[in-house]
Amino acid sequence: MESGKLHYKDVNSTFNVDKPYKSRSKPNYPGHVPLNAFEKLLMMAGSSIGSYLHPERNEFIVGLGESTAFTPVLRRLQRQMLSDPVGRQILRERPRITSESLDLDYLRLLPKNTIGSAYIQWLDREGVSPDTRVPVRYIDDEELAYIYQRYRECHDFYHAITGLPIIIEGEIAVKVLEFTNIGIPMLGLGGLFAPLRLRPKQRERLYGIYYPWAFKSGLNSKPLINVYWEKILEQDINEFRRDMGIEQPPDLRELRRKQKKLPEPERENAN
Amino acid sequence: MWKAVRTLTSRATTSQPRLRDVVIIGGGPAGLSLLAALKSSRVTRDLQCTLVEGGSLASVQNFASNPPEEYTNRVVSLTPKTIEFMQEKIGNWAYINEERVKVYDSIVAYDSQDSDSRISFDASAIGTGTLAAMCENINIQASLWERIQELNMTSDVPAEIMDNVKVEKIQSPVEFSASEALDELPDLLEVDPTDGMSELDWPIIHLSNGESLQARLLVGADGYNSPARKFAGIQSRGWMYDRFGVVATIKLCYEDYRSIGWQRFLTTGPLAILPLRDDNATIVWSSTPELSQLLLKVDPEIFPHLVNAAMTLEEVDLNYIYKLLEVDPSDKSVLGEIEWRLSKIKLLELDSKYPLPVRELVEGSRARFPLKMSHADTYVAPRVALIGDAAHTIHPLAGQGLNMGQTDVAHLMAALEKGAKRGMDVGSTLVLEEYYANAWPGNHVLLGVCDKLHKIFSTDFTPLVYLRGFGMKTLNSLGVVKDLMIKLVSGN
Repeated sequence: MESGKLHYKDVNSTFNVDKPYKSRSKPNYPGHVPLNAFEKLLMMAGSSIGSYLHPERNEFIVGLGESTAFTPVLRRLQRQMLSDPVGRQILRERPRITSESLDLDYLRLLPKNTIGSAYIQWLDREGVSPDTRVPVRYIDDEELAYIYQRYRECHDFYHAITGLPIIIEGEIAVKVLEFTNIGIPMLGLGGLFAPLRLRPKQRERLYGIYYPWAFKSGLNSKPLINVYWEKILEQDINEFRRDMGIEQPPDLRELRRKQKKLPEPERENAN
Repeated sequence: MWKAVRTLTSRATTSQPRLRDVVIIGGGPAGLSLLAALKSSRVTRDLQCTLVEGGSLASVQNFASNPPEEYTNRVVSLTPKTIEFMQEKIGNWAYINEERVKVYDSIVAYDSQDSDSRISFDASAIGTGTLAAMCENINIQASLWERIQELNMTSDVPAEIMDNVKVEKIQSPVEFSASEALDELPDLLEVDPTDGMSELDWPIIHLSNGESLQARLLVGADGYNSPARKFAGIQSRGWMYDRFGVVATIKLCYEDYRSIGWQRFLTTGPLAILPLRDDNATIVWSSTPELSQLLLKVDPEIFPHLVNAAMTLEEVDLNYIYKLLEVDPSDKSVLGEIEWRLSKIKLLELDSKYPLPVRELVEGSRARFPLKMSHADTYVAPRVALIGDAAHTIHPLAGQGLNMGQTDVAHLMAALEKGAKRGMDVGSTLVLEEYYANAWPGNHVLLGVCDKLHKIFSTDFTPLVYLRGFGMKTLNSLGVVKDLMIKLVSGN
């Protein structure tokens, strides 16, 4: 009775028993799907096999990314953002990057050397739209979920400032850059295992040119997560790269075209 | 021959020192406690005692009749053992202004790196209802003062208190060299107790008012830079922490009915909010030299919010806020930052896991003092005993400083009473050694524990954070061990 308990047997007690293994905890934010530890493990295993076999399928990559985004890793990212004025501003204002939040037609009017222009050129060249990013669902903490969302939505900007295309080699190179800079484990896994599926020619290009570049730029540059892209669309892209400490890598599409043209017979062999 | 010359010259230059049985240097709680205890004990009350204090004791004398409206910033935590000693042995507790004493019954300590790593001590577990009591330093001093006045009314040998008198020099009258000592053994017949210049080995204390005293027993209660300790040639070992304790009196949003002492271990040092009566509370914020300077100059309107932030927010937020305040100590934008980060914590959690928000800072109550660990090699030398901070200084994280001083007084009293009962010279090492033997080991353990606690918590090195979190959670769930710890610390 002291602790507020009744001292007769509650007739409904049999119906009120908690069944923790069956009940699912309440979502922490709209769209959140709370998973228990076993489910997380299962998702990690399933999505890593899936994304190795079918890297082009988005749901595997999304699942792998979220299930391997362990809390300490995201906390580190959170600390990185919280110790930077711009990072704090982003966390406070929670901007989202969509085709509505960005005026794409306005971007087309910007001078060629601006970040906004580079971004829209890249979108047009690769034929993608900012809306292709799915919302985060499996990360439990609300702020950490936003941070992951932010990383995911900024991914296209990393392509834009480096000029790397969305073909697999470009994706891998950007992933390695992101991993060394942002530190999300899935990116490292991608950098480690994805090249195994490639042809030797492609692998050589990655290991010889793009990995060294990605390590150098990723480790030397300031944290990319603390860039408020929406606010610097008018900034000069070269100036930005210099400020951040990112070098521009060789154009991958150009490089492929050149290498394809030159040694014709080799190409036959490779196929 | 040399003796005669020395006697002649001394006689010519200085007046005769007054002979006293006990001279206490320092009018802090330790010194006053010893004086009151000496005068309270049936065995030692006829000793001629003098207390010398360099500062003024006027505020102590006025405290009883006219206490200051706000709490002063020097507040200490008294353990039940100390309170019992004051009630039964010294008898000054009757004069304590109890309206300004706050008894609290639990302590919650938690880690800034993980708010779930916490440990709570609850007095109800040991059945006393009192874990400790918060009391102003000056309240203790005033009660001791009153007690001494009371004892003086009835005493044949009243205690003498001299304030605003500094000790200029402490001198030993027998400073002959080793060879001389071998040549001429002191002739006991030459000792003339009425003549202060004789072969008495009692130290002579020269005072700034021109007077000099010669003491059978000189007690150093004169703080960290103890002249008495230096006179006795006792080494004190330890180190500076490169940290400052910032103290302030604050007001909470409303009175905390829970009466909990809160302590959060930040990597810069622990921050404690300790309850006083009504909505008052006192803080002790151990911090780096730069941070402590910042805390003293931060806008008084921002300071309460800063305390709230430091009790709840993550260190990354705090470091960001310090950086803003470093640029402009009255930068109001930090209020928005603090409010935003606080809004991330669930209300229920804020209510149950953290202290009440601070409403305001009492003007002019901020001060800082350097933190250090030191322990004297011994507390006694021929005709000299050290008590309180003169013997040891401790990190304030466990609130043990004043209580250790009281333990010293208790042990010293026991030794002096025993010596006096047996008709021995209370200044001889034969009597004093017992005090050292009983007081030193316990103090050394406490000093060591607090020193290690400080070191364990002043890092954010991840493996250590996990380890200490594990340790805290484990300890928190071991009720028996916790009760034992409370009993040890509270002296039950």
